[in-house]
Amino acid sequence: MLTLWRTKRETSRTGWGANIEPEIGVATLLERLLLRPRTTPQTVQDALRALVGRHPADEILTAVRHLPARAARLRPFPDWVCAELAEVYRAKGIEQLYSHQAEAAELVHEGKHVVVVTPTASGKTLCYNLPVLNAILESPGTRALYLFPTKALAQDQLAELHDLATRLDDCFGVFTYDGDTPVDARRAIRERGHLILSNPDMLHTGILPHHTKWLRLFENLRYIVLDELHTYRGVFGSHLANVLRRLARIAEFYGAKPQFICCSATIANPGELASRLIEDRTELVEENGAPAAEKIFVFYNPPMVNRNLGIRRSYLNESTRVAQELLARKLQTIVFTNRRLHTEVLLTYLQQANPPKPGEPEPVRGYRGGYLPRERREIEHGLRSGRIRGVVATNALELGIDIGSLDACVMAGYPGSIASTWQRAGRAGRRSGVSCAVLVASSMPLDQYIVQHPDYFFGNSPEHAYIQPDNLEILVNHLKCAAFELPLSPEERFGDVDLPALCERLAEAGFLHRSGGKWHWVHESYPADTVSLRSVTSDNFVIIDTEAAGHGRREVIGEVDFTSALMTVHPKAIYLHQGLQYHVERLDFDQRKAYVKPVNAAYYTDAIDYTQVRVLEVAEEARIAGPAARAHGDVLVRTQVVGFKKIKFFTSENVGSGKLELPENEMHSTAFWLTLERELLAALPFPLPDRQSGILGLLYALESMATLLLMCDRRDLGTAVGERPPSPGRETQWQEYDPAISDPAKMPELFSPNLYLYDAYPGGIGFSEPLYQAHAALLHRTRELISACRCESGCPSCVGPAGDKSERAKEAALAILQKLAG
Amino acid sequence: MDSTAQDRFARLKALRPAPALPAANAGRELVYVPDESGVCAWGIPEHADALARLLGASPARNRFGEHLALRCWFPDPSAAPDPAALRLLAPEAAKEDAVVDPRQWLFLDTETTGLAGGTGTYAFLVGIAWWDRGGLQVEQFFLRELSEETSLLAALAERLAERPVLATFNGKAFDWPLLETRYRMTRQIPPPALRAHLDLLHPARNLWRLRLGSVRLVELERHVLGWDRGADVMSELIPRMYLEFLRGGPAEPLVPVVRHNQMDLRGLARLSCRVLALLAQPESCGEDGLEVYGVSRICERHGETARARKLYQHSLAAALPAEVERAARLKLARLAKRQGDRALSCKLWEETLGGSREGFEAYEQLAMHYEHNARRPEHAAALVHEALAKLRQAQRLDLIAAETCRRLRARFEHRLARLQRKTAFRNLRIPEPA
Repeated sequence: MLTLWRTKRETSRTGWGANIEPEIGVATLLERLLLRPRTTPQTVQDALRALVGRHPADEILTAVRHLPARAARLRPFPDWVCAELAEVYRAKGIEQLYSHQAEAAELVHEGKHVVVVTPTASGKTLCYNLPVLNAILESPGTRALYLFPTKALAQDQLAELHDLATRLDDCFGVFTYDGDTPVDARRAIRERGHLILSNPDMLHTGILPHHTKWLRLFENLRYIVLDELHTYRGVFGSHLANVLRRLARIAEFYGAKPQFICCSATIANPGELASRLIEDRTELVEENGAPAAEKIFVFYNPPMVNRNLGIRRSYLNESTRVAQELLARKLQTIVFTNRRLHTEVLLTYLQQANPPKPGEPEPVRGYRGGYLPRERREIEHGLRSGRIRGVVATNALELGIDIGSLDACVMAGYPGSIASTWQRAGRAGRRSGVSCAVLVASSMPLDQYIVQHPDYFFGNSPEHAYIQPDNLEILVNHLKCAAFELPLSPEERFGDVDLPALCERLAEAGFLHRSGGKWHWVHESYPADTVSLRSVTSDNFVIIDTEAAGHGRREVIGEVDFTSALMTVHPKAIYLHQGLQYHVERLDFDQRKAYVKPVNAAYYTDAIDYTQVRVLEVAEEARIAGPAARAHGDVLVRTQVVGFKKIKFFTSENVGSGKLELPENEMHSTAFWLTLERELLAALPFPLPDRQSGILGLLYALESMATLLLMCDRRDLGTAVGERPPSPGRETQWQEYDPAISDPAKMPELFSPNLYLYDAYPGGIGFSEPLYQAHAALLHRTRELISACRCESGCPSCVGPAGDKSERAKEAALAILQKLAG
Repeated sequence: MDSTAQDRFARLKALRPAPALPAANAGRELVYVPDESGVCAWGIPEHADALARLLGASPARNRFGEHLALRCWFPDPSAAPDPAALRLLAPEAAKEDAVVDPRQWLFLDTETTGLAGGTGTYAFLVGIAWWDRGGLQVEQFFLRELSEETSLLAALAERLAERPVLATFNGKAFDWPLLETRYRMTRQIPPPALRAHLDLLHPARNLWRLRLGSVRLVELERHVLGWDRGADVMSELIPRMYLEFLRGGPAEPLVPVVRHNQMDLRGLARLSCRVLALLAQPESCGEDGLEVYGVSRICERHGETARARKLYQHSLAAALPAEVERAARLKLARLAKRQGDRALSCKLWEETLGGSREGFEAYEQLAMHYEHNARRPEHAAALVHEALAKLRQAQRLDLIAAETCRRLRARFEHRLARLQRKTAFRNLRIPEPA
């Protein structure tokens, strides 16, 4: 019997959700698809049938949703658009606007700040290019600043804008301005650029601190475009909000009050996010008028290998098979993974299955951060031209890089959020024909929850994007930059803080100096250089092949950011790049260089890290049943890479390990935690090892449900167990149980452990307090998750894999939850 | 501020790099003076007046406020340079009367709160100087407080209106852009328009870098002008010294800073005379071949090829270090080639052949000559063979960078292949007698 899934109508506001057919079974669907005149013998439908043919369909394909094609809603060009501009667009084949484009242009024309929510390939650039270019044609002094989250996206826009400029007799200048812009071209860009395409980092370090050189831009700044708004969440968003505060000060200094045009992928709160970023009212445009082609969305759960242990087939291997079914049918396919390492592992598998024809380049390529720009451009071009048949990518291809539309998309593991899942799925979808998106679930609890409750995914709005612009660490850093740019006066507002008090503090520390009623920057340093918008440090490591091309020549093959470096290029690691293996010979920590040598190994490495949390300050604390306590506050998180595992290709066997001594990473953040009192644990009818496994299992399940409850990305939260220290500030390590010492059954309970869920960003981004408030729901849902799981004694989908824990972990976790429920 | 916030600050402090110098607030109280207009004004602290007394400076006032100013006059027998060679320093403005008249020049040097530039860097001491009464008149403006900046800039704008030809050392890249930024930041005074800007850094590099290695002004004074300024502060320390003063530190450490600025201006003025004299008549300025070579390069860059050619020959006649001599020969050869003097250029290339960077270029040039002009491909091929052998030797002895070596080899091999095709073709048509 095939499962039928019921979907609510009109639950998601844009995108595909609005058009999901209410009730449809796999068999019905396949039947209907197969009746269709087969234009090519090998199609999406074939691939799906091949997948179904091998296993019982309802266990493997837990959901098959058919998203029918949708017609475009069109509007004429508004009458205020210059005739020559409308003519240029007509010449490019755009006779009319989609309804959302017309609506956005109209609102911009009325002088409002606008946020357009658009799925992939719905013509979002026109939403801002039309009103901005129109303003430039009407008044040639007008200037606009376009901000993209990455340099690559700005480059991508440049081609389109150059084309428009040529068609308009070069009546406006458009330039990218970023770290790659040659120094001798910069002056000309500052003078002649009507449209400056840049990124927040360059605005922060290169433009604002030198605003006097950008006189012409700031005096005439009328529009600021923020594209891919949804990426400005968490710490990056909090930084950007502060950069925009600085931008507003400078614009005001030159008498300009720019208008914002923002574009976002579908998230739950685009309007709210935009309003918090620009600190002003915004108008939301979310009725998508673009046409959509027919699509099939499939949830694929790898078959069970051992039902008792809850072990399923490796989702990486299964993703490879799904992708291979699609590739074999000549469908151009993109495979998304959630980790850089997995990109390379999957690429290795798929390249072996699809060897290049003699004399031709590889038909399947990898794409992720860390590849050099030239290599990336080549892959993008290969995808557009169709020469590259498949690509394995990280979220680097989730954003609007132009790679054309592909036939199929395979997601190896749940991307972590509903929003990302729709974004990635949107990469598949030709204008005509059928395309498909397949989500292959891993055995992580969140993945299993999603594929087993498809209504949750198809029926819910995507996640919220949270930012915390008044995070003191972030704000203070930008306040320093602001003072450098323009002396601060006490009447100014900069976020929700007591500005004079803060300035006094900075003056005491020797950064500012009060003179003439204003605070001036009086430090020799250049403050913007010491603040990175994206991570704790702006450092990156370059990866150097010491035996490039067999000549003993040294060649830079890639780069990796500071935090990932410890995980991916530690000594003795196997670093994978475009499916090739390199052994890391030496990691020069001071010079930020990793020296590698090509090898041919049968395994890859995966780093093991160890995390320790120390409470710095309790913000709120309350007792709950158990006896136990819940709390939230400030913490210090220390992470260290302590070793690595060697994992065999294809079989995923653990074939060895190694120890490492690498420096620690420290981060201040905020956390929510549960304290289990000693009495609670002592009262449990389990010996110590089971209790400990129960605690770890409980934390594992709590994390999954917390990400669901917060509707946040699972990378945003970190977990750790630690003993509650007798007083804040002193730390004790979680001690390993040693069976050689005494009889575990008789060992008294000594610990009152803390179960931490911390924000995985320096300074925190505000998850702790909501978790503290919603602890009842969190505990309830966690209990639901564990008790509803069909495994016997714990599995990756509830309390974590059975192998790592005692056999009674699941039972113990439930017993603890029982106590906590009172 | 509540205790939570205090604690957060304590932690923020821990995250921050330690300040370069400890803030010494003890000796200093800001005096808050509410005035009738309701505008806040901060009184000038006592130690700033102490500085005025120490330096013999006095407050200067204008409609934008007040700052310190001081003047001193230094006798200088070399006063007023020979403007004849000015066309080589500021070609676009050299015909204007104002520019040609050295009395219109204003020497300028600033001391700043940082070396990185950007809107948060202030010029706290601006020194200017001009020729006057057979000597050099120096005037310095100083900020006792950053709020005095606008009045300082107004005063500077006045001086620049009187003498609109700016003369600096590295001022094109540093001092003047920084001052332009400061003017823009006022939103009241536009950056003054300059008639011309003579920057001595680039000519100094051409003339003396080969000899001295560094062309810092102090080095030039000592080794070119033969003038030792004596004890001096290190310029890297100056921002810190001023910031310390701003935070309430003593005024005394700034006395040598002010003197340093005077020295810079005096050195700059004298250097301008020396540079212009050299550019006008390098032959008569002693027998230093390197200086003559430097002048030749400047002439060549400004299109005075005839003069450049003469001077290259002159410099080659003097004693030059081997490497410079090879470079001079190549430059002269290039000029000769462009003027059609094949005989001279071939002679120079022949003399330069060898395992050096210039030597390889000479091989290449000569091979080109034999291939295209003299039509002797066999001879050209022999030269290329020789060059490749030299290249291998240089590589073995590690005398050449791997990258350069690879590039050169590729070029020579490419040329050799073509030459061999040519000679093979020729040999085919005219078979050698048996």
